[in-house]
Amino acid sequence: MDLKAVTHVDGYEEFVKTVAELEKNNKPIFILFSGSLDESGENWCSDCREAEPVIQEALASLPENAQFLHVGVGPRDEWRDQNNPFRKQSNLKLKCVPTLMRWKAPERLEEAECKKLDLVKMLFEEED
Amino acid sequence: MTNMSIVRFACGSSPRLCRSRTSFMVKSTCQYSATAVEEKANEQSSKYDLVVIGGGSGGLACAKEAAHLGAKVAVLDYVTPSPRGSKWGLGGTCVNVGCIPKKLMHHAALLGEAVHDARAYGWVLPEKAKVMHNWEVLRNAVQDHIKSVNWVTRVELRNNKENVEPSVPNASAFHDSENHLIRRKNKRTIDYINGRGYFHSSHVVNAVLNNGKERSLNAEKVLIAVGGRPRYPDIPGALEHCITSDDIFSLARPPGRTLIVGAGYIGLECAGFLNGLGYDATVMVRSVPLRGFDQQIAQLLCGEMEERGVKFLHKCIPTRVEKLENGQLKVTWSNVKDSSLQSDVFDTVLFAVGRRALTKELAVTTAGVHTEKESGKIRTDNEQTNIPHIFAVGDVLHEKPELTPVAIQAGKLLAHRLFNGGSEVMDYHNVATTVFTPLEYGTVGFSEERAVELFGEDKLEVYHAFYKPTEFSVPQRNASRCYIKVICEREKPHKVLGMHFVGPQAGEVIQGFAAAMKCGLTMDLLKTTVGIHPTTAEEFTRVFVTKRSGLDPTPQSCCS
Repeated sequence: MDLKAVTHVDGYEEFVKTVAELEKNNKPIFILFSGSLDESGENWCSDCREAEPVIQEALASLPENAQFLHVGVGPRDEWRDQNNPFRKQSNLKLKCVPTLMRWKAPERLEEAECKKLDLVKMLFEEED
Repeated sequence: MTNMSIVRFACGSSPRLCRSRTSFMVKSTCQYSATAVEEKANEQSSKYDLVVIGGGSGGLACAKEAAHLGAKVAVLDYVTPSPRGSKWGLGGTCVNVGCIPKKLMHHAALLGEAVHDARAYGWVLPEKAKVMHNWEVLRNAVQDHIKSVNWVTRVELRNNKENVEPSVPNASAFHDSENHLIRRKNKRTIDYINGRGYFHSSHVVNAVLNNGKERSLNAEKVLIAVGGRPRYPDIPGALEHCITSDDIFSLARPPGRTLIVGAGYIGLECAGFLNGLGYDATVMVRSVPLRGFDQQIAQLLCGEMEERGVKFLHKCIPTRVEKLENGQLKVTWSNVKDSSLQSDVFDTVLFAVGRRALTKELAVTTAGVHTEKESGKIRTDNEQTNIPHIFAVGDVLHEKPELTPVAIQAGKLLAHRLFNGGSEVMDYHNVATTVFTPLEYGTVGFSEERAVELFGEDKLEVYHAFYKPTEFSVPQRNASRCYIKVICEREKPHKVLGMHFVGPQAGEVIQGFAAAMKCGLTMDLLKTTVGIHPTTAEEFTRVFVTKRSGLDPTPQSCCS
């Protein structure tokens, strides 16, 4: 998959709206939850910054029909709030960023795992 | 020239085919081509310190430990679909079609009971008849959990965690003289291959992949950890229409009225939770339930199940299964005593008549490994087979408990002996276990029958008591089969030989006592241990009626 085919959204409401749209296509959805960009244009989450190039490289391993959604979870202080909907919603229950997952499936990678190319590829590839 | 190219083509597909030809010319070109094939195989194959066949409890534990110790390890895992088409991912029987889904479904059934008890405790709930169970919700929840475990298992195999100590104690190689953890620089990841392994020769294991291709692995050492699968009886209709424990946990539609053939712990546990979830369940028993277990206890467990609505067909064996037009199954069976025939109709028939080790599929004979004729299991000496570089662990072992923690422990200790100069061997004695029937049974040590066989009735003292869990009182639950038994030596210091607990949370109750028995628990020590009140486990600290005395073991009043 090429970077241009990646859909970007910010915040929970946009995420909910967009994923509902993507679900209508009946194709596998992969989501990267990441820190959002702060005022200086930088991702406040350092693990996310490090994971990004690895994930970009692995995009080539995605199945043909896959949809990839990149979600900025919002500003750091909102993320820190334990009542943040990203932490509570039953399909999400995010514990950390970055979290890379196959939507509505058990496959997910968290934090340092997202920096490992072979693990990311394993998540993207269909199991033989 | 043409002849040689034809022969080379034939050799390319199978060297063995060539060796069977007789002409001299063909033979010599065959030898040339056979070498070419071998060389090509060697190119693809890699040399592993350890090839583990079977990615279940034992195989993975040994593989991970070995990799931590610097060994180059490959794990082969493959699930041949069941006759009903069920298959599953990495993790083995326990994770996919054993302990884990079983415990979840057992718990689902217990929660159903708890909902009804809750009313007595003040909860305002719909009447009993209105509380329904949705099979699909349970089945999907269980399958989702299993899949997440499959995923985590795959990640763990690939994810080389730094600073993680191998989990076997006394791993002295990991600490320097001042007890600082030495990080092993050569810790490795494990090569996981989703393929069916078999012995091509004693040091070469082939993996048949899903796409039909084969991969060849050169192994310094091999670990057979292939476990087992359920048996089907050889009667018409069994294979075609019936399910086993391989299928029940992923059954797409509710099981309905179910016949469970087999009264070992698998059959009883399945019948137990199916009944608890609201399905009509019947157990067909050929000889006795829970053969090999303490029979007095087996009677209590079955008595409890019967009281809860499970039907038992004793001393019966099925003779045929026919599928009716409406999709239901008509089962005919014969009574072992008088050979009379009977039949009845069920929605589902589940066979739990025993399991067989998957050694035949492995082509163990190619490697020269001996197996037991009937069971296919392997006799080992500290997990070593008759072939010095080939080992085995888990359910595939002859006369060893078929339990996940046993396989894991044995696997880890084996890895230490093979790759860390360890000398500790697996202790298969006094392994605690629990049967998760509706009323649970936890035990460690000998059954009463086995103790009598080994020591003689005269040399034993058996303490026992019925008890009533405090929580049963309010909802007026029947506690008449909540029972404990302690078997010990009659002579001082009255060493404890076996402990038995029938009641709720039996596994939790017995676990600690397994450690106590390892420390040489005696009846005197048990008597002087102060109980925690109010619990059911405390009953072990206040059991004083012996079978020999003939006194009444039914419960005394609460705190006296």
